[in-house]
Amino acid sequence: MDYGLKPLGREKFWLWALLMPTFIGLIFGALGSVAATVLLSFAKWDLLTPPAWAGTVNYANLFNDEKYLISLTNTVKFTAMYVPGVVIVSLFVAVLMNRKVRGVGLFRTAYFLPAVTSAVATALVWKMIYGNDTGILNFILERLGVQPVCWLCTGNAMVSVVIVNIWGAIGEGMIIFLAGLTAIPREYYEAAEMDGANGFHQFFRITVPLITPSIFFQTLISTINAFQAYDYIYMLTRRDQGDSSVPVVVFSIYRNAWNFFNYGGASAQAIELTVIVAALMAFYFWLERRYVVYE
Amino acid sequence: MKHRLLVLAVILSLLLTACGGTAASQKADITMMMWGEPAELEVWNKIVADFHAANPNITVKVDVSDWESYWTKLKTLLSAGTPPDVFAMDAPLYLDYQSRGVLLNLQPYLDKNPDLLKGVYPQTLEAYKTPDGMFGLPRDFQTIALAYNKDMFDAAGVAYPTADWTYDDLRSAAKSLTKIGSDGKVTQFGFTDDLWDMELIWSEAIWAYGGDVINADHTKTLVGEPKAHEAWQLFHDMMFEDKSWPNSTTSDEYGGDPFLAGVAAMTTIGHWVVPGYAEVKFKWDVAPMPKGPAGQATSVNSAGFVVAKDSKSPDAAFEFLKYVLSEPAQKRLAELGFACPVLKAVAESDAFLKQSTPIDHKVFLDSLAFAHMKPVFKGYDEWSSAIGDGMASIWLGDAELDPTLNDVIKAADDVLAKKK
Repeated sequence: MDYGLKPLGREKFWLWALLMPTFIGLIFGALGSVAATVLLSFAKWDLLTPPAWAGTVNYANLFNDEKYLISLTNTVKFTAMYVPGVVIVSLFVAVLMNRKVRGVGLFRTAYFLPAVTSAVATALVWKMIYGNDTGILNFILERLGVQPVCWLCTGNAMVSVVIVNIWGAIGEGMIIFLAGLTAIPREYYEAAEMDGANGFHQFFRITVPLITPSIFFQTLISTINAFQAYDYIYMLTRRDQGDSSVPVVVFSIYRNAWNFFNYGGASAQAIELTVIVAALMAFYFWLERRYVVYE
Repeated sequence: MKHRLLVLAVILSLLLTACGGTAASQKADITMMMWGEPAELEVWNKIVADFHAANPNITVKVDVSDWESYWTKLKTLLSAGTPPDVFAMDAPLYLDYQSRGVLLNLQPYLDKNPDLLKGVYPQTLEAYKTPDGMFGLPRDFQTIALAYNKDMFDAAGVAYPTADWTYDDLRSAAKSLTKIGSDGKVTQFGFTDDLWDMELIWSEAIWAYGGDVINADHTKTLVGEPKAHEAWQLFHDMMFEDKSWPNSTTSDEYGGDPFLAGVAAMTTIGHWVVPGYAEVKFKWDVAPMPKGPAGQATSVNSAGFVVAKDSKSPDAAFEFLKYVLSEPAQKRLAELGFACPVLKAVAESDAFLKQSTPIDHKVFLDSLAFAHMKPVFKGYDEWSSAIGDGMASIWLGDAELDPTLNDVIKAADDVLAKKK
């Protein structure tokens, strides 16, 4: 990995001088709050009175907190649907967008738009689509003679929310995969064609193996995003006082910290979430060593 | 000699006036934080301007946020040790703050101003009393009344609700006002309400049926007792048997308020809707809450102001609280129309009773006669969330009433046990 230019002499000074503001921000902002969260997760703190040392009580309570356990299950379910969904759909879209078709730029822009649009605004539109008696989707279903579906009722809300989240993530996934796809030399496909491989074979034998680094990266990013998912879910499923019909862990953390005077418990939940994500990451990197091909 | 005495007298008098002046007339800057909508900010800016005119030495900086951001911001400022001097308080949450020692005890100030609370509705003061004295003062209050769409009643030929209505009358009227289309879809509902918070209907109905929501020392949730159960059963039957009450998914589609959207004939609400309902196209009015087997009941809840314990200018802060209870300030609040003024003289004057929205505003004041206080205790927010969240699946049509109610009571009692 030793390529590129190395800074020399006075350049080194400027390198550090210019990096300093970012480092200061990282150390005090990111690392500082991480350290504070770790400390607070061992404390009983209601924000108003001074924190008191509580040992591992907050962690022990996690296993008795039914609402938290429900939210954790929801997050796991959400992740299990969301991550493969994002990877598959955005890879599919990227392959489509990788063709030399007229107006492909327009399509690429269209797919990327949700990524740069306010989630609150698009979620409101989705709410109109998913509406029960007045929704666009049910209107179409009824015209087709299909029974209308209660999209945001408890039974279906999870899937409906996953769909919106995947839709919102296609754009970024597409960019990652497009970068991977354009890096694959044309000759491979030409050679394969000469040998008589069809499109299906070309995709699974050439494209997929060669973009495993992109798939790996996208899976990683999507998993992190899945554990932090909040905005669409909040807008589509929120109820009074910060509750939701699909309460994922972020809801539980937020409400414990800000509604229930339980900042310590919220910190413990956040730490546990981090540990789970970290464990998943370790698993991914283990997979990477086995299956990801870097050219 | 004479000359010297004169100089001494001048110096003495100067000193005395200077000392006497410090308490009341020293310059003070205070911040006042509250939740509210743009229309409320406008009125509070006027109240503050009046206050500045009356107290030229005190400058009040007003900081308004929406309800949810308000509490987050307030807690952050309190935990950082830089709280606003004066901030708004919702009575049920008051003890969550008072018990954690972040509020200033106002009792010494009240003892010095014995007449301050004389004209205030006593029901609105109850929530702020603690064994150590009062740590907050109300500014306005809400009782709940039955609102009805006159046009829908006229069209259906149903008589308007009266003060003698029972919950059975409500149910049967709601049934006759419900219209179901040929495709089985309800096009007009007889009644609607949000069932998350107790304030809109469920606490009132439980009280009217002779039950209660929580025991006196706040250790046991009573919403599952037989009498309370009758109230839940009524809601359940109206929603799922009569179909005269939209479930929460449907009411969400009408912006969360089917009554305002003009698709429901009745609802129960507080005076806070009046400014928002001013624009509606239909004619409407209010009647007192219906009667149950145990009589008539509504709920009274107040919003008030408290002073931060760490305030650097507690005297100026109290001056402001005092001013909020004055006639000119209460008059401004009456004209704003969000809530009922706590000062009796203003509430019963034309400023409140003759507001531009032509409904019977007096109903909200008269309801105090049979009003129960919305419970105030430490842990209220989490306890009410346990009930509101838990019951929500019933009102979505996803769960059965009885097993859910049992789970909810257990969850709510767990919260109470934890908070002790």
